[in-house]
Amino acid sequence: MQTIFDALSLGSLYALGALGIALIFGVMRLVNFAHGDVISFSIFALMWPSTDAMAVVFAGDLPWFLLIPFVLAVGAGLSVLSEIVVFRRFRRANPATMMIASFALGFVIRYFLLMLFSSRPKSISLLPALSQPVEIFGARIPLLQVITICATIAMLFALTAFLKRTRFGLEMRAAAENFTMARMLGVRANRVIMGAFALSGALAAAIGLILAAQTGTADIQMGAAVMLMAFIATVIGGLGSLPGAVLAGFLLGAASVVMQTVLPIDARPFRDAFVYGAVILVLIFRPQGLIAARGTKERV
Amino acid sequence: MSLLALSNITIRYGRLTAVRNVAFTLTEGEILFITGPNGAGKSSLLRAIAGVTPPAGGRIDFAGADITGRAPEDIARMGLSMVPEGRDVFGSLTIEENLLVGTGMHARERNWRSRAATELEAVYDTFPILKDRRHSQAGLLSGGQQQMLVIGRALMTNPRLIAIDEPSLGLAPNITDQVYERLIALRAHRALTLLIVEQSSTRAQLVGGRMILMRGGEVLLDGDARAMGQSEAMQAAYFGYGDH
Amino acid sequence: MAIPSVARRTISTPIILALILVALALLAVASGSRPFNQTIIDVFLRVILVVGLYIFIGNSGVISFGHAGFTCLGGYAAAWLTMPPMMKETLLPGLPAWLMALQLPFWAGAIFAALWAAIWAALFGKILMRLSGIAASIATFAMLAMINTIYSNWESVTAATSSVVGIPIIRTIWPYMIAAILAVFIAWAHAISRAGLALRAARDEPTAAAASGIDAPRERLIAFVISGAVMGMGGALFAHSIGVVTPDTFYLTLTFTTLSMLVVGGMGSLSGAVLGVVILSSLIQGLRWLEAGITVGTTTFAIPNGLQEITLGVVMILILVRRPSGIMANSELSWPRARPEKPGE
Repeated sequence: MQTIFDALSLGSLYALGALGIALIFGVMRLVNFAHGDVISFSIFALMWPSTDAMAVVFAGDLPWFLLIPFVLAVGAGLSVLSEIVVFRRFRRANPATMMIASFALGFVIRYFLLMLFSSRPKSISLLPALSQPVEIFGARIPLLQVITICATIAMLFALTAFLKRTRFGLEMRAAAENFTMARMLGVRANRVIMGAFALSGALAAAIGLILAAQTGTADIQMGAAVMLMAFIATVIGGLGSLPGAVLAGFLLGAASVVMQTVLPIDARPFRDAFVYGAVILVLIFRPQGLIAARGTKERV
Repeated sequence: MSLLALSNITIRYGRLTAVRNVAFTLTEGEILFITGPNGAGKSSLLRAIAGVTPPAGGRIDFAGADITGRAPEDIARMGLSMVPEGRDVFGSLTIEENLLVGTGMHARERNWRSRAATELEAVYDTFPILKDRRHSQAGLLSGGQQQMLVIGRALMTNPRLIAIDEPSLGLAPNITDQVYERLIALRAHRALTLLIVEQSSTRAQLVGGRMILMRGGEVLLDGDARAMGQSEAMQAAYFGYGDH
Repeated sequence: MAIPSVARRTISTPIILALILVALALLAVASGSRPFNQTIIDVFLRVILVVGLYIFIGNSGVISFGHAGFTCLGGYAAAWLTMPPMMKETLLPGLPAWLMALQLPFWAGAIFAALWAAIWAALFGKILMRLSGIAASIATFAMLAMINTIYSNWESVTAATSSVVGIPIIRTIWPYMIAAILAVFIAWAHAISRAGLALRAARDEPTAAAASGIDAPRERLIAFVISGAVMGMGGALFAHSIGVVTPDTFYLTLTFTTLSMLVVGGMGSLSGAVLGVVILSSLIQGLRWLEAGITVGTTTFAIPNGLQEITLGVVMILILVRRPSGIMANSELSWPRARPEKPGE
């Protein structure tokens, strides 16, 4: 039971991360390496700059119904800003150039945080009421884990509804499939791309919130680890395919947790090697990803 | 009055010049065929008009405004609707969603939703097959149905001019007939201006109207499609004898 | 294998690049400053690594995130082969007896390190080179992560995440310079060889190349193995330059610095690979000096910590905005008046 919840909550993080990367990839073929740093930034936005080990809280004490929108808005805002300031200038550049530019931007954000907060992880207590365990089917599960899973599912539903039911969502889906054609139908390129960045940034912020609440720390590095896995999930899922990204995110989470339990003790430290080996196998057999997105096939 | 005017359009891809000094005007309500063999620069010309690949030189005017180098969405919003070659349907979207993508451009106007609904019904009247399958994925449609869908989708934006690249490509002749029948009917009905690119000139001669014959990126002939007939210049354009 | 006339036409590129490297070495020697000497050694190491990356990425068009893995293999191989047996017994007790007793000179260690990396490049490449595009990129990253996980946890032969110390430190600049020049000539020779030509053809015109019988996965594998060997050699020399290896030395930071230098210089250009290193390294060095503080009269100006990296990131973005294909784009340095051409075209 505990294993299932571990798998689901880890999978949730990867799925949200993969969605954020897939959204942007879908509309502009950018593999956004700055995503992880948006995750970190959203959390540090809750504190005043300081180098102390204890966080000097700024917005972290807000009640949850203000705290959550605040953090999401910070993530969305930073993400949109990065599009306006940086990525807009790379519309015609090749994917490798954009990727390196996104990496450079992530670098800038990370060291900006480092300047203000130093590299030492800070302890921060976010929504402490959530760390109590609850009993489900006879197993004691941290409430936070349950909420993580529920919130992820809620966000997935909300995102699906947004994409399926609104005009903007429709335009985004069309643009993700064939950007030029969508523009020829009057869909405004910049608005759609900014929308994708805003959504992606908000998702990043949600990950940041969950991570900070789960670990009780804010660490400049914390976005990077999730982002790498999320990035892999995006590719395994089929680059640009949103359902694929979610599915692969959960699969990766499950694979990590399951391997931790089934591997013999001696092999456990090498768990990640097995996970990555599995990733390579999946890619060999499904190079287009589990759910191949239309229109993202590599041009021959 | 001229709706679309091209002057001295030159298009280059790297060192390759695809179109050289092309000029023509298109009057409101007119039907113009651009024909010519493969590589004549027809599609490049359309892409330049739609704003996808801006020309290296020259100027394009549409509805009295200079649109050279404008973004594709701006040009679409001015009422120039483009149906590119290869029928770019959004395969994962349903047919109805495909049709609705282009209506967003009118979202600022009053009661655009009800207008879009009316527009949708009009397209369904024209192409009943689309109505029957409105909720299935567009990627599952046959070639002919996809062609109808992209034309319908262009109509949904309520354009003044529709530019279509090779509507008959890959279609069975009787389906092509149907597509053209609809186009001609629509033109009469809505006072549409049509700009149609076709590789062969047969269709132009069948339908009538004006025809421009291109070869090697230049305009060879410009005149009445039927009068042009099987003139010697035309033979030369296709089969490569003569001075070219 | 190179076609002689092509070799004659393009030989100026590696010669110019070699001269630049020699000039840097002479500059370092002339300055007589120990830290500057070390800086130039770092530049040479990066040249080796970035040129190694270029051999695969530049010719195949596939971005690899995995090459730091070969550097890791090379660095640890150098440690295994050149450390005094006494040190190995305490730090790396799990090594087999014959390896434990062995202590090679550094250059022999570097050669074996290159071979060791090449063997693994061949094994991994056999599987990975069937992929192309972004799937291949992710697969190479997964390979790097696998190597990193194994080296971070295999206590008895890699000391896990703790540093392996006691690798003989080489402080003279010449071995590094020679290795960097060697890497440049290897890259040039590969680029004008039949394999290099075929690979670039497959990169630019996949369909046409396949139709004319080019086996893209095979050509990619060749480039992968050669670049893996160069990366392995770089890793060995890296180990000798600082005397210490840890798995995380050869992980994400190294991956991204080397990739950035390649892309800023121009992914498809050997000259770009070298110039990317020289330019970004000079920038980093300049910023370090500023960070340490510049004394003008009696006041010392210094930029705050962290601003170095931020400036570096901003400058990289600006360079890419101005030159999206990198500083050299696809062209190469060659003698004036010679036609600007890529090697082998």
